[in-house]
Amino acid sequence: MSQLEIRSVSHWFGGLQALRDVTFSTSDEILGLIGPNGAGKTTLFNVISGFIVPTRGEVLLNGKAIHRLRADQTIRLGLARTFQIVKPFATLTVEENVLAGLGTPYYPKAEALYKIYRTRENLEKIEQMLEKVHLSEYRFSPAAKLPIGLQRRLEIARALATHPKVLLLDEPAAGLVAQEAEELADLIRDLHSQGIHIILIEHNMRFAMNLCQRIVVLAQGEIIAEGVPAEIQNNEKVINAYLGQE
Amino acid sequence: MLLLQNLSNALILACTYILMAAGLTMVYGVLKVLHIAHASVYTVGAFVGVLVFSWLGNFWLALAIAMLVSGIFGVLIYRSTYFYLLNAPRTVPLIASVGMFVMFTDLLQKPFLMGAYQRAFPAGGAGLSAIKTALFSFTAKQVLILLVTLILLVLVYIILTRTKLGLSWQAASMDREMASAVGINLNRSIAANFFLGSALAGAAGVLVGVYNNSVFATMGDLPSYKAFIIIVLGGMGSLPGAILASLILAIVENFLVASVGYVLPRDSIAFLVLILMLMFRPNGLLGRE
Repeated sequence: MSQLEIRSVSHWFGGLQALRDVTFSTSDEILGLIGPNGAGKTTLFNVISGFIVPTRGEVLLNGKAIHRLRADQTIRLGLARTFQIVKPFATLTVEENVLAGLGTPYYPKAEALYKIYRTRENLEKIEQMLEKVHLSEYRFSPAAKLPIGLQRRLEIARALATHPKVLLLDEPAAGLVAQEAEELADLIRDLHSQGIHIILIEHNMRFAMNLCQRIVVLAQGEIIAEGVPAEIQNNEKVINAYLGQE
Repeated sequence: MLLLQNLSNALILACTYILMAAGLTMVYGVLKVLHIAHASVYTVGAFVGVLVFSWLGNFWLALAIAMLVSGIFGVLIYRSTYFYLLNAPRTVPLIASVGMFVMFTDLLQKPFLMGAYQRAFPAGGAGLSAIKTALFSFTAKQVLILLVTLILLVLVYIILTRTKLGLSWQAASMDREMASAVGINLNRSIAANFFLGSALAGAAGVLVGVYNNSVFATMGDLPSYKAFIIIVLGGMGSLPGAILASLILAIVENFLVASVGYVLPRDSIAFLVLILMLMFRPNGLLGRE
C-alpha cells in the first residue's frame, strides 16, 4: 500500500501563484483531482512527479520526501505519470515505447551501455502489458500512427512498464469518444484492483464522478473541497467555481 | 576501371566524413544544437594521437587514447557550456559553439600546444597491407581508414539499436520531458552521447592525420563546415542520413573534381550540393518532416 502526502505545497511562477498551501494525503484509492482551467492541477502533478521543485512545502511518498528529486528519480521510487498532451516516442514502435519504460531501473547504471533490451523476458513482459491495455495487435506499429485513444493506452502501458506503485494520469479521457472512455475507466479500475494507487486529473465530470472514490477540487491554486463524488457534486463552492460554469 | 578506382577513393573520403558527421548528428539528435566546436574535438583527437604515437610508436594505442581524450573533452564542453543552455533559444548554444570553436582553434595554435606548424603523423598503414585487384586498389592507409570506420560504425550501431543507453538517446531525441518520465537521467545520457560522438570525431582526426601525414591546429576548419553540410544533407539528426550524405558528397566531389575540378574546387562542390538540396529537399535525404 502506498501513501502519498502533499504538505503545504505552494508554487509561484514569477509573480503568479499557481499553488496555495495545498495539503492532502491519499492512499490506495482512485483519487480525482478536478478544477477549472488554470486551477493548478497539472502544476501539482509536475510537483509530485519531480518536474517542478515547489517554492514551499513538501511531498512525501511512503514517508520519504520526494519533492526535491528529479523526475527520473521519482519514477524509480514507483511514481509514474502520463501527460495531458499525449507524448509517445513517435518514431519508435509500440513495443519499443514499452521497452523504454522497462529500462527504467537501468538507465543510470553503467550496465545500460551493454545491457541488451530486447531480451526474451522483456518481450514476454511487453506482451502481457500490451494485452492488458488491448494494444497487442499494434505491437509493431510506429506510435505516431496510432489514433489518440490508442496513444493514451500506450502511455499507460509505458508507465506500467516502470512498475509503478502510484500512477498519475493527466486527463486520460481527453479526446476519447464515450465508448473509448468507458473502456479506459474499466482499465483504470483493473489497474487499481491490482494494487496500483491512481490519481487522475479529469475535465470529463461524468468520467471522474463514476470512476473516482474520492475527489479533491482545486480552484485558483487552492483546495476548495474534498470528499466522495456525491458530496462534491452538491458542494456549493464547487458548483460556483467549476460546475456552475457548465 | 577508372570508375571503380574513383569510387574506391570516394569511399575512403566518405569514411572520414562519416566519422566526423556521425558524432555531430548524434549530438544534434539529442540536444538539437549545431555543435560547431565538434571540429575542435577532431583537431584535439589528431593532436593527442600524434603525440602518443611519437612517444609510444603504436598506432592502435594512439588511436584508443586519442578517442578517450576526445570523448572526455566533448563531455567537458557539454558540462561547462551546453548544460547551462539546455532551455535557451537554439541560437544561444549555436553562438556559444562558434565562440568555442574559434577559441579552441586559437588556443591550439599557441606554441605550448600545437604551434603554427604541421606535425608529421607517420603511422603508415599501422601494419595493415594494401589491397590490389585488377579493378581497384586500396593503399595500406586506405585499408586502415576503411577498417577503423567499419569497426566503429558497427559499435555505434549496436549501442544505438541494442542497448538501453541507445534507447535512452532515441527517447531523449524525441521528447526530453517524456524521457525523464521513464527514468532517463538526461544529463548522464547526454554526457554519454557527447562522449561517444566526440570519440568518433577524435578517431576521424587521427585517421585524417595519418592519411595526410600531417596534423596542424587549423585542420578542423574545413571539416567544421563539411560536417555541417553532411548533417543538413542527410536530414538533421539522422545517422543513416549522415552516412548516406557522406557517401554521396564524397562521390560527387571525387567525380566532379576529376572532371571539372579546374573551374570548381572540391569545397565549392560541397556547398553547391547543399544549396541544391535545400532548394529541392529542405528536410534532407532522410530527415523527418
